[in-house]
Amino acid sequence: MRILTKTSLYYLLVSVIVFLLGGLSFYKILQTEIYDEVDDQLFTDKENIIEYIRSHDELPNVTSGISEAIIVRETSAHAGALEALSDTLIFSTYDEEYVPFRKLTFTTYQNGKPFEYTVLKSLMDFEDLFESTMLAMAWIFVLLLIGLAGVNYFINKYNWRNFYDTLERAKRYSLTQRKPLLLKPTDTQEFQELNEVLQAMTGKIHNDYLNLKEFTENASHEIQTPLAIVSSKLELFMQSDILTQAQASMLEEMHASINRLSRLNRSLILLTRIENREFSENEVIPLHELLQEQLDQLHEMMLMHDIQVEIEAMQPVFVEMNTGLCEILISNLLLNAIRHNSAGGIIRISLKADELCIKNSGEPLQEEPVTLFERFRSGNKLSGSMGIGLALVSKISELYQLTPTYTYEEGLHVLRLKFQKNIS
Amino acid sequence: MKLLIIEDEQALNASMVAYLQQGGYTCDTALNYHDGSRMLADQHYTCVLVDLTLPGGNGLDLVRVLKKNNPDTGIIIISAKNALDDKITGLELGADDYLTKPFHLSELNARLRSVIRRRNFNGQKVIRVGNLEVFPESAEALVQGRKLTLTKKEYDLLLYFVTNKNRVLTKDSIAEHLWGDHIESLDSLDFVYTHIKNLRRKLVEAGSEDPITTVYGMGYKFSY
Repeated sequence: MRILTKTSLYYLLVSVIVFLLGGLSFYKILQTEIYDEVDDQLFTDKENIIEYIRSHDELPNVTSGISEAIIVRETSAHAGALEALSDTLIFSTYDEEYVPFRKLTFTTYQNGKPFEYTVLKSLMDFEDLFESTMLAMAWIFVLLLIGLAGVNYFINKYNWRNFYDTLERAKRYSLTQRKPLLLKPTDTQEFQELNEVLQAMTGKIHNDYLNLKEFTENASHEIQTPLAIVSSKLELFMQSDILTQAQASMLEEMHASINRLSRLNRSLILLTRIENREFSENEVIPLHELLQEQLDQLHEMMLMHDIQVEIEAMQPVFVEMNTGLCEILISNLLLNAIRHNSAGGIIRISLKADELCIKNSGEPLQEEPVTLFERFRSGNKLSGSMGIGLALVSKISELYQLTPTYTYEEGLHVLRLKFQKNIS
Repeated sequence: MKLLIIEDEQALNASMVAYLQQGGYTCDTALNYHDGSRMLADQHYTCVLVDLTLPGGNGLDLVRVLKKNNPDTGIIIISAKNALDDKITGLELGADDYLTKPFHLSELNARLRSVIRRRNFNGQKVIRVGNLEVFPESAEALVQGRKLTLTKKEYDLLLYFVTNKNRVLTKDSIAEHLWGDHIESLDSLDFVYTHIKNLRRKLVEAGSEDPITTVYGMGYKFSY
């Protein structure tokens, strides 16, 4: 949940609780006030009635008074209550409903005879007032709530904008971009601290990364010269006439290993150079022609393995890439299809405007397809590959935003390259 | 033919000298930029092999100067850098070829021959080995005056052998010469075998003695 949503929800929750409690106490206070007022009026009536009886020595006219109704009834001396306040409901024929009344019952004497008076006061007006007051209050509360929540939301959003900006930049940050993480300065202390910490951290990581990369590069380059020396000395050694069979085979093995090491090193340097974006000179390449060229070059290799090539589609496709890298990409894909094929197998090639698809027969993979594009992954150690071919494919694809995917369909390994930037 | 090898690694320099001297070249060596520059000014060489990273300067500057003063001297750049830019700059400045360390001495020899052949217009247009004649310009080979029908690869292989005659050529170096270093597969060694077998058969059928021998499983030798 976003922090803005979260704070807004908490804010709403607390506001609703506060408003409910406030509303409830307001209701209680208002009710008490109204009862007090009504009761006061009833007692005023009572005082008036008693005063009237005393001064006029007769029962007052029942309609005179503030109250809605005054009921007089003769009563026995002991039956009547001295004074009692209560609520009652009386059916109103006009409204066709029960109307709440407050009633005061008291007993007074005239000429020694007890009379029970019941003074009734309708609560209807007060109830109406009460209701409209509560409704107005409720509206005020709701509007206040919405307004406050809204203001709170926008203030928060405004305050957090720097945080979101930082987050977005941190997300987009990539070590390989060779650019430091640039964050907008902010006047919020915590966010400024966060920015500084992030910048320091990525700076450090970036430095470590560069050091490591430089080390790899230097190591690869420095290895070339000793390799060249060993390789050349071995070659000279081989020219000697006095070698025994055993010595010769040792030399041959050494030479083969040195060669393997050289090729491996060269591939690693190539990978590093692709990562370093050293191949910036792009050209528009007719991919169909290049593919055909590579197929011709590998023709005899396929013949040796008795592999049939079926061209399913060969549309003219032009891509903007570095020529050398494009050749490496295509030749590695094809070599891969040959190397991991079964004898007498097939390779199906389909080049369309949006994708290149190379299918080859062969045993299903033993490993997860995800690891396929990693370095030094070779499914079969006997094949003599170093497992760097597809790593190169993946690196080059990444550079040109092509997406290589692998699937196994109907006994065929299927490698697809999706083109995005397709000119033509 | 006189060569100058400008390479700061003493051991590698010595290897190149040893291999090339057997091929009949006279080799001078320089271990740094200044020696190289001085020797280039003093003498005339058929071809110069120059490393790019030298103590005292950049090999590319030597190429530049040499190109200006002695335009007919062949230049081969030898570098550990394999940086595309250097390669392009080097070739644009007029270097004839570019080799990346580590390389096979036999490959260096083949490239050197090819550079000299291309530059030497009035010179040797045919390579004769016994009754075998190879014409690099037209990519043809004759045995006892009869033309051999060779595939492109077989012809390349024959030229490689003839250039490095009486030397042991490893299967790896042959494979790399024929297919470049993108073919990093053991299979290519089988192809080498197949091609050599076919080449031998064609040579023998045309009336030549079999000049190619297998050396202890180490490689092949074209002897004459």
